[in-house]
Amino acid sequence: MDSTSDRSKKLETAIGICLLTILFLIAITILIKQSDYDMGRFGIEKAVGEPEPIKAKLLSLVPAGFEMLSEEVYLADNLFEKINGKAPLYIESGFEKLFTQRFINKKNEDLWMELFVFDMAALKNAFSVYSVQRRPDVEFLPDIQFGYKTTDSPYFVHGKYYIEFIASSKSDELFKAMMEVAHNIQTNLPVDKYTEIPELTLFPQENLVTDSPKLYLASAFGFEKFTDIFTAQYKLGDETITAFFGKRPDSKDAQLAAKSYYNFLLENGGELKPAINKILEGKVIDFYDTTEIVSSAGPFVYGIHEAESQQSAEKIAITMLNKLGQGNK
Amino acid sequence: MTKSNDKNLGRRQFLSRAGKAGISIAAAGSVSLLLYDAKGPPRHVVKTEEFVTLPDFSVPHVAGQTLSIVRGPDRKQTVTKAIELLGGIERFVKKGETVAIKPNVAFARPPMLGATAHPELVAAVVELCRKAGAKLVYVTDNPIDASASCFTLSGIRKAASEAGASVILPKAHHFKPTTLADGKLIKNWPIFFGPFANIDKLIGISPIKHHERAGASMSMKNWYGLLGGRRNIFHQDINTIIAELAMMVKPTLVILDGTEVMMTNGPTGGSVSDLKRTNTLIASCDMVAADSYGCTLLDLKPKDLPYLAKAQAAGAGTTNYEALKPILDTV
Repeated sequence: MDSTSDRSKKLETAIGICLLTILFLIAITILIKQSDYDMGRFGIEKAVGEPEPIKAKLLSLVPAGFEMLSEEVYLADNLFEKINGKAPLYIESGFEKLFTQRFINKKNEDLWMELFVFDMAALKNAFSVYSVQRRPDVEFLPDIQFGYKTTDSPYFVHGKYYIEFIASSKSDELFKAMMEVAHNIQTNLPVDKYTEIPELTLFPQENLVTDSPKLYLASAFGFEKFTDIFTAQYKLGDETITAFFGKRPDSKDAQLAAKSYYNFLLENGGELKPAINKILEGKVIDFYDTTEIVSSAGPFVYGIHEAESQQSAEKIAITMLNKLGQGNK
Repeated sequence: MTKSNDKNLGRRQFLSRAGKAGISIAAAGSVSLLLYDAKGPPRHVVKTEEFVTLPDFSVPHVAGQTLSIVRGPDRKQTVTKAIELLGGIERFVKKGETVAIKPNVAFARPPMLGATAHPELVAAVVELCRKAGAKLVYVTDNPIDASASCFTLSGIRKAASEAGASVILPKAHHFKPTTLADGKLIKNWPIFFGPFANIDKLIGISPIKHHERAGASMSMKNWYGLLGGRRNIFHQDINTIIAELAMMVKPTLVILDGTEVMMTNGPTGGSVSDLKRTNTLIASCDMVAADSYGCTLLDLKPKDLPYLAKAQAAGAGTTNYEALKPILDTV
């Protein structure tokens, strides 16, 4: 009797320990999953690694002849307090944190500048906000993969950070100081080694306008469901053609995305028109006297947006099809 | 565990244990019941008499003198001419009156970037009001960014003060709740009311800017600065809130600065490359008409901005600015 009772006790103890262990493992799994969920499922890349916060590097950023004034930090829930109506653009693109710092010239208080460091969580997100805000007719910065300058300030991507400045006035001295801060950021602010956006290599190179690619993470061409869309411009004679593509998990999803955008165009006044090239039959739409082409190739939805000439539009669309077909192999 | 495994558990023992368990459950339940608050935390109930309403600051309509458009690069000259074409500053400001000027001071950005009203323009309007005999001229706004920085870095604090205005920065006691009759969004919402409570006239001054969410930020969007609280939630329905602001505020005059317009990356901009010089200044007693013309400087049409049609439908003005026969001039 006693031996049976002992066996029962041991068995129950073992079962109890097992159950507690299982519950403990479930709790740990939930905690891990919640702290490391896949943002890619929401069209946003997650950060790889966590570089040292910029605040710790501040002193190394101060340009010669300047001193620091106020610093500010904003998160998604109060970003509007700094940039109001532009906040959604960042938040929809994976924004995590904005750090700002003003610098003032020690000898002339009218010369000041403000540094904006947007932590966008991943290079791709940072590229997106950089590219969609890029000003026309700018000079690209040498030795920086994604960077340009206007007449008053520089703008660039550094790993997961999108960086811009505002200047109190147009001044050579201020511009020089901003470039010094930019250099200091590149030297002193560590970021992930991963600095490629592979999708950018999928655009055909012939006739491509250098540095024209953009990434719309949300609502490309005003169509809410068109997310994660790369665009680039092509020059054919005097005409500029906008080509686009987006990668989807599989060919079925790509077909659905193409169909969805196709329907959106028709619902908004577009009309199907005969294609010049048979391969594009049923894919060409007249949209208020411009040509839209939308189709899919493997996991890619691709097309042409608001081209003036159907012939040019189809020419670029076919080169896109050929290139994306190769990328799919 | 040992006792519960006892196969020889007696009836008395069982009843005793069951009783104890029952008492424990009942005790826990009683404590929960005692702590349960069916009503929840008390909500601050605003009594109807606590609600404020912005007065109507508009002036009587004069046919053919509702909208003026003046071309020229000098803001002081263009605004002076534009107001003169509408009947002169005396039509809008009488001797001894108190005037509030509400420029767009949303951001702590330098005037060069065009994200805020230009300080020279604000100063010119202050001077005109003073010249007309205004007893007091206030310049005030409730910026998005830190207010002291916004007024200082935009150059508006210095320019307005030097021109003879008192600059009022927002304080907590300036905010009072309001509800807009027939409004969908402005319901029991705090507005920046204090500086406007005892004034006679209200003038809005705003730059023409691209706006990422609304399409364009002009005269009507300028009143967004009157909203307090977590006003960013209104970005979800930006067209309705702008139209409701046009219903809520009845200004004496609006001045829309198209000397340089922000064509891209608004409403903050960030570079002079975002600006285009269009050398145009608009003054109007009808802000819907002013904005309908103003948007053409952004290469937009009034139909591209749904809030204009909504404001027109609500009776705030007309999108058909041509019907007002705008007075054109160049200086």
